[in-house]
Amino acid sequence: MWDRLSEQIYLNFIKDDRWQYFTNGLEVTLIIAFFAALLGIVIGLVVGVIRSTHEKTHKLKFLNFLCSIYLTVIRGTPVVVQLMIIYYIILANARNKIPVAILAFGINSGAYVAEIFRSGIMSIDNGQMEAGRSLGFNYIQTMWYVVMPQAFKNVLPALCNEFIALLKETSVSGYIALQDLTKAGDIVRSRTFDPFFPLLTVAAIYLVCVIVLTQGVKILERRLRQSEH
Amino acid sequence: MNIDERREKPLIQVQNLGKSFGNVQVLKDISLDIYEGDVVFVVGPSGSGKSTFLRCLNRLEEPTEGKIFFEGEDIVDRRADIDRHRQRMGMVFQTFNLFPHMTILKNLTIGPMKLQKKSREEAEKTARELLERVGLADRADAYPSQLSGGQKQRVAIVRALCMMPEVMLFDEPTSALDPEMVGEVLNVMRELAREKMTMVVVTHEMGFAREIATRVLFLEDGSFVEEAPPEEFFGNPKSERLKSFLSKVL
Repeated sequence: MWDRLSEQIYLNFIKDDRWQYFTNGLEVTLIIAFFAALLGIVIGLVVGVIRSTHEKTHKLKFLNFLCSIYLTVIRGTPVVVQLMIIYYIILANARNKIPVAILAFGINSGAYVAEIFRSGIMSIDNGQMEAGRSLGFNYIQTMWYVVMPQAFKNVLPALCNEFIALLKETSVSGYIALQDLTKAGDIVRSRTFDPFFPLLTVAAIYLVCVIVLTQGVKILERRLRQSEH
Repeated sequence: MNIDERREKPLIQVQNLGKSFGNVQVLKDISLDIYEGDVVFVVGPSGSGKSTFLRCLNRLEEPTEGKIFFEGEDIVDRRADIDRHRQRMGMVFQTFNLFPHMTILKNLTIGPMKLQKKSREEAEKTARELLERVGLADRADAYPSQLSGGQKQRVAIVRALCMMPEVMLFDEPTSALDPEMVGEVLNVMRELAREKMTMVVVTHEMGFAREIATRVLFLEDGSFVEEAPPEEFFGNPKSERLKSFLSKVL
């Protein structure tokens, strides 16, 4: 049995430097997930602020309308379809696939992050906005210095959830022939004709990534909670 | 002595102010001149529009009619830079509204630093001096959640004062406080009045109004029914409605 195990390890990881499929795949996965998360935060911030501003003041009607269309479309269609639409139709001439994937996953994630931010902003008492405005801060400044930091703290667990989902969703990148972590496992499987090791390796790597992310957010949460002794 | 003869130009001039929420008219045709050093108390039954009136002065509520001149400029005008005017009008809320994610010192310095471009040293120096005067020098590094209600409200007053305002607006500053904490907040306000800070105060503390007000206004159903210096207001009320109100609250 041990012989078989070491043979399998040799076949799956050592022969032809196959471990490089996994490390390269992980790199691609992490790059896509990281930058898509950043893009998602930026989009989510803008859309979330527009939506909550509209909800509170009934201003920004047109922008809010555009945002609701964005949310409806993005949340109403599968991410893998969006990915393919962007790759095969909208950016059909793109040479580098990684930015395409970042764009697709970022736009997708932004819709969910926007709703998270909106709920966070709405959860902050209106007195905070009034206090900021009464000092002479304008709306954006009050959002930035007063409302958002508190909202961010409240929505951190939900945001963490979203980023975990995002990291795992990038596993469909193979649909546009990107060699991400999942695709890497698939390639190795097709070489060794043995699904067991490659798939479990891929699963284990995702798991470790998610655990590290979760722990990181926990530390951040603890630090942000300083003000509520 | 007639107050209007004492000084030439009002700091705040309210002209025919009106405010409606939909079909409900909360304020009707209110006019009022507030001079430098005035301590104006606005009293009246709940729902009479006192808070709305106060919040119109710095446009936390948008007036639907009339004009408000502050330092000679109509701040209701669309083109008026209300954020700049608000820097010169401090406001204290019933529920304090301190920023819970910042230390007390940060609460006090963020306005002067970000809006008036003061250096950290300068802003902190002013903040610490003012904290000292309200007896909270040792709480500079605490967070709002670690303070009692009375302490929070004193900090909130200091936060407004740090901006060096021309006038202070108080919106029922003691209504959310436990009775034993009311005194400490009133002391700070008393001190301010003594230093000739211009103040507009909405309150239910009639005794306090009698003590430090230069003028008391009675607001009912959205309009001023009576206005008088405190001795006259409480000692010799003219209108029936004020008489009946005073008989209930005194």
